[in-house]
Amino acid sequence: MAASIRLGSCIRRILCQKTSLSPLNVVQRGYRNKLRDELVQLYRLREEIGPEPLRHRSEWANWNYNVELFAFGKRLGEDLKEETLRTVFSHKCYIERERKKREDLGIDLQTVSLSLEDNEQLAEQGEVLTSRYIKGYLRHVYPLFFEEGISAVHDYLMSEEMLNYIGRHIGITDLMLCSDFPAKDSTVVKTLKALIGAIQQEKDEERAKRFIHDFILPQLIGVDVNETWKVVNPMGLLTAILNSQNRGLPEPRLLRQAGSNTVMAVYHVGIYSHKQLIGKAPGETISIAEEMAARDALKNLMKTADSRPALLLGKLAEDLNFDENKTNISAIDFIKQHEPKQAAEISS
Amino acid sequence: MSSSSIPSTFLKNVLNNGIGRYVCQLQRITFVFCKQKGDSRGTRDFIENKLLDFTNNNPGVAVYLQPRNNRSPKLVAEYLNGGRESIVTAKMSEDEINKWLEHLRGRSGIKIARIRKPQHTENPSVQGVWHPFTNKDSSLNKTQFPIQELSEVPHETTTTDKLLEIAKKLRETDVSMKE
Repeated sequence: MAASIRLGSCIRRILCQKTSLSPLNVVQRGYRNKLRDELVQLYRLREEIGPEPLRHRSEWANWNYNVELFAFGKRLGEDLKEETLRTVFSHKCYIERERKKREDLGIDLQTVSLSLEDNEQLAEQGEVLTSRYIKGYLRHVYPLFFEEGISAVHDYLMSEEMLNYIGRHIGITDLMLCSDFPAKDSTVVKTLKALIGAIQQEKDEERAKRFIHDFILPQLIGVDVNETWKVVNPMGLLTAILNSQNRGLPEPRLLRQAGSNTVMAVYHVGIYSHKQLIGKAPGETISIAEEMAARDALKNLMKTADSRPALLLGKLAEDLNFDENKTNISAIDFIKQHEPKQAAEISS
Repeated sequence: MSSSSIPSTFLKNVLNNGIGRYVCQLQRITFVFCKQKGDSRGTRDFIENKLLDFTNNNPGVAVYLQPRNNRSPKLVAEYLNGGRESIVTAKMSEDEINKWLEHLRGRSGIKIARIRKPQHTENPSVQGVWHPFTNKDSSLNKTQFPIQELSEVPHETTTTDKLLEIAKKLRETDVSMKE
């Protein structure tokens, strides 16, 4: 060890003599002493300037709108014409902005016309079709579910949040021609609706329905339809249903209870009709448990219980035919019709 | 590093893809390469020989070529969910690049992380939530508590008991021997 140090210092001395440098000035290799200062300076500069502004994808060199448009059509498996796709993505605000730009530049709009149509009409058409088809499908799948519930599930699927999520995940965002950037959710939703409208207009209604079936309806997977519709008075509705079927009025019974004097109290209530158990549920108090049991019984009667069969999607729904004009019964009307006589007297 | 500090996820699927129709999640891919450098050679070969097959088979993917002098070559993939992945293809052969391209094409765009379980469900229970009365014997409904029978400690012979028994026996035999 000592020998090697001595050898090293010896070599250094010889080298220094040769290059006439004192041992103190030997250049250190492998360390950039100024690196820290440079990085600190860069960091401060960045802090001063602020973050990079968001830029549209089209500002990068690797961008070709025609290519992207072609790929978009192919990706979804819909062979739409290029002009149709252009119309789908052209928003009114964009066309107005372009027109204004040309006016400012002094270009006569009549000689050099803007050959762009906006997607307003297509979006309207798409929305009507989507709404109608979703409702029809839900009524077909849940024939015993009340109309309010169908509307709630329909609203969930047609909500801006949901359609925006779908639109952004099929690659609409980058292609939109609109004046807002970053793209607003409502613009994405409108484009998606316009796309459905365009498929309906160019191909046929069946094709557009297939699109809705393949892209919007699968979002129902994992959603509890009973959760989307909040029943205000489950026991009233249950009574009406049982009354309409000439079955005995619902009779809640306490099945089990535990820890009633503790914070962990649990009550288990079952609902009977003609001595038959039609629903049961636990709860923190008897009244909660009773309400939950009524909801459980409703679920069983409406055939939307947790153990319901899987939705008709994908290959299962290839030759699905249903009457879109058929409607389910509304819960309010149903209660009015089938309220037991005694209860009706009391309420009146 | 402990497993809790490494990012982990459950299995995910973007947009419930494949239930309706399958949409390739790769949106666009950019080949960055140098026209003269040696380490871009595989990439150049790939572009020359195999790229057209790829574009014909995947018309839904926008492909861009970006020649850049004296840079190492790479593949930059952009996904529909906004995800972005790049793979440096320096010194890779044509086939190797093809394999990486297939890897990028088959992905969903979600960042790769340790997957906690090989299966996942959003609604874990079809049979309902567990509560203290699940699978309880229904005879307990009619039982009047407290019952002596249930409060009793079940008596079993322990090892200590057995040892004591053996010791007792030995002692007895000892006494009888002495007599």
